[in-house]
Amino acid sequence: MKKYLLLIVSLVLAGYMQPALKAQDLLPPETTIEQAVDHYIQAEQATGNIASAPQVDDYILLRRTMLDLIGRIPTVAEVEAYVADEDPEKRVKLVDHLMQQPEFIEQLAYDLNNILAPAGKTDLELYLADALNNRKGWDNIFADMIYGNYEEEMPKQAMQFVNLRINDIDNLTNATSALFFGVNISCAKCHDHPLVSEWTQAHFYGMKSFFNRSFSNGDFVAERAYGAIKYANTNGEQLDAKLMFLTGSVIEEPEPVVLDDEAKKKEKAELEQLKKDKKPAPAPEFSRRAQLIEIALRENDRDYFSKNLVNRMWNRIYGHGLVMPLDQMHPENPPSHPDLLDWLARDTYTNDYNLQRLVRGLILSKTYSQHSVYGGEKRPAKFWFATANVKPMSPRQYAAALALASRNPAHFDDPNEAVSRIQNEVKAHRGWERKFVVPGEKFQVSVDEALLFSNADEFKDKTKVANDRLGGELAAIESNEALVQRAIKTVYSRPATAEELEAISAYIAARSDRREEAISQIVWALLTSSELRFNH
Amino acid sequence: MFDRKIGVDMSVNTDRRGFLSGATAAGLAASSMNLDILKAESLSNELKKSGKRVLLLWLAGGASQLETWDPKPGRLTGGPYQAIQTSLPGVQISELMPKMATRLHNTAIIRSLNTQIGDHGGGARLMHLGRRDEPNLKYPDMGSVLARELGRPDLQVPDYVSFYTATEGRGNAVGQPGFLGARYAPMFLTTDNKPANLSRLEDITDLDHKERADLRALLSNRFAKGRVSESLGSHNVAYGRVRGLMSSEKLFDLSDEPQKVKDRYGKSLFAQQALVARRLIEAGTPFVKVARAWWDSHGQNFETHLELVTELDHVMSTLLEDLEERGLLQDTLVVTLAEFGRTPTINASLGRDHFARAWSASLTGCGIKGGTVFGATDEDGQHVKDNEIGAAEMFATIYKAVGIDPHHEYFVGARPIPLVDPGTHAVDEVLA
Repeated sequence: MKKYLLLIVSLVLAGYMQPALKAQDLLPPETTIEQAVDHYIQAEQATGNIASAPQVDDYILLRRTMLDLIGRIPTVAEVEAYVADEDPEKRVKLVDHLMQQPEFIEQLAYDLNNILAPAGKTDLELYLADALNNRKGWDNIFADMIYGNYEEEMPKQAMQFVNLRINDIDNLTNATSALFFGVNISCAKCHDHPLVSEWTQAHFYGMKSFFNRSFSNGDFVAERAYGAIKYANTNGEQLDAKLMFLTGSVIEEPEPVVLDDEAKKKEKAELEQLKKDKKPAPAPEFSRRAQLIEIALRENDRDYFSKNLVNRMWNRIYGHGLVMPLDQMHPENPPSHPDLLDWLARDTYTNDYNLQRLVRGLILSKTYSQHSVYGGEKRPAKFWFATANVKPMSPRQYAAALALASRNPAHFDDPNEAVSRIQNEVKAHRGWERKFVVPGEKFQVSVDEALLFSNADEFKDKTKVANDRLGGELAAIESNEALVQRAIKTVYSRPATAEELEAISAYIAARSDRREEAISQIVWALLTSSELRFNH
Repeated sequence: MFDRKIGVDMSVNTDRRGFLSGATAAGLAASSMNLDILKAESLSNELKKSGKRVLLLWLAGGASQLETWDPKPGRLTGGPYQAIQTSLPGVQISELMPKMATRLHNTAIIRSLNTQIGDHGGGARLMHLGRRDEPNLKYPDMGSVLARELGRPDLQVPDYVSFYTATEGRGNAVGQPGFLGARYAPMFLTTDNKPANLSRLEDITDLDHKERADLRALLSNRFAKGRVSESLGSHNVAYGRVRGLMSSEKLFDLSDEPQKVKDRYGKSLFAQQALVARRLIEAGTPFVKVARAWWDSHGQNFETHLELVTELDHVMSTLLEDLEERGLLQDTLVVTLAEFGRTPTINASLGRDHFARAWSASLTGCGIKGGTVFGATDEDGQHVKDNEIGAAEMFATIYKAVGIDPHHEYFVGARPIPLVDPGTHAVDEVLA
């Protein structure tokens, strides 16, 4: 793809998206991510006279970290071992241990697929898991998704990013801009963006030009060596779209190939034959899609790409982006912490866009381990990051949480068996994922979910008093206090409070004639409460 | 510069209005201002909207305007059926609607819809959303908007119920809360006239079911205290609605409806669902949609319409009479609508094809100036001759009829989204 020496004309660069001009003012690159995060977040809080929420205890921190890294709640045995551990380095060790588990990559791939694939599709998950396992950076993942490679199995799957949208190039253009560059330019299709002077029709059609020669041929994405876009502005004038990136940088390209009727016929016949043979068409010598990769990662133009990655990963971990909404990274909507975003963007591109490194740093900060309950009077708005945000679980996390929390906890006591037993239990409940919705911004739980848990026959098994269930174990405990402690620790991964002891004991006492039913109902109430549904 | 002047997180709130502010107006810098606007607007309109309801009869597949509201007798395009004189001087409708012909005094007929989209999927989306789709912004459909605007927080009944039993075109019948959030999603009934998971399982008593929910609420509220999140609020709101919704289960059960009333509506599924819809409306459900499929008569148009229009005429007139007798019609707007009409030109299979250029709809009851006809098509019904309107005007008229300002704005981030596309207005000629 580097065959052509490109003459790149840089138009006016928006100041916002320029790489940090005063790099010397940023914290030095050798600062750790966690130090940089805490430095910038606390410095900003100081300007608003905002105090941080207290740090969480080991119980909450273990649960939160496990959910974020490997997508499940801890077992009682894991909770007790972690709390009893007196090693001052135990948190770092925990994070590094969890990141070596296969579930770490699995969950990251699942979440990224939910972001990148069209709603309801899982086509990119396997590819993403393979890429992350091979420590591919986000730049290479992006290149596989946009340009692909039909010679190898995995990059071929990555092409589903384009392939699933190939019949609607506007949608493909928008999805690429929004998901990889944090820029939703769909407004600029029909007119210059009304709020954002930097986004014009020229930008939309410039971005669309990277895809306009691509088309679907059989199961494969193919690209022609010719084809241009004309569009009308609001005055009705016809304009030629340039091959132009969001920054305004324009790519000079070779003259399009001109085919006479005969050659076109031949091309058509060849494509038909390839379709029949189920083979991909060869890429043109000059690929516009390949040019998008080149320019998006180039030194003067890579800010959109790197900042979008940082913002999306930040949002995933902290439950609120440095820029919100996530696809509105534009000058009229500045980040809450511009220096921090600059620093993290620099860190990520100087470290090969390594996602594992970024996640690890974000999780190890003190900002991450703040309590989600704010102690003081007025809870600061989310953009101060002075408290942890409560995050709704993904369908997969919630299915795993329900699976583990409803199981007899003793099943996971034996450390030699625990790993495989946990995996089996979680995998057996994958089907439950389909009952829940992937949470987006402003996610709301539907009443259908509440009705399902309240009245559906299929949920009954989770709460019943049986040997393999939590209910079965609780029924064998004589003392109400011990029963409540065991139940709360199993479901919420922490000790019970006095209030819970009282309320639940009273519930049992009122049903002394039907203790088993009472226990089943208590398990129901614990499993359906918000404390299990959310990562806090 | 990032604007930090609204430094306190106000996004949690489980009451209805507060919920909206969380769901739609949480754009950071602008949120405080937007909240005030919304509050002022909602208070002034609260009285006008209170107790208003909408019942949509969705004629899925596209009913023919020529065999219903806009006959062209004696023309080549007119087909075999005649027109009959209605109770309104000078107004004729198809002879397939003799019952409606005698009771148009609460009804306005609109004969000038030009909605342009002639495929089922696209047309149905347009006539559910009132506007074209936009990538990356999911609009709520009419039902979700009405559920939000007309519903009340203390309502013990569902606020958006949608019946669609046939399989043809079901996927086109959009029921999406979009940016309003899942709180306003429809209860969507397909295989059964009863919603799923509404009845208690036998192995728990009603008292234990209730007290179990109370224990859950106690545990969950303890957790929610001091934490702030719209999603968290919605979780507990959803569970809080369960018992109320369960108590509305009897509304879906016609066994306690007097036989006389059941006989009056008739035995067809459409008739029974219309009766359930009336029960829901009576109990306070602000929006019910009953879909009747499948009107897509590319062949044998006249047989299809003989059957379906005759049924529609009976069910609709019975429903209107029933609502009127119960004193509900003045607060209930009954709408007939489809994704489009059908071609005046009759094809070789004696069918009529998709036609979005000049077709009809009807509005009856709440807020409507009865006995009016708005707009007209030319003598063959090929084009709109007078007062052409599109989907946005139709939606604006529906909203205004039930006391909702069609230009009311939601905020998605900082972006204002009016209920209908800017520059479009309600058809005041048909409004009381």
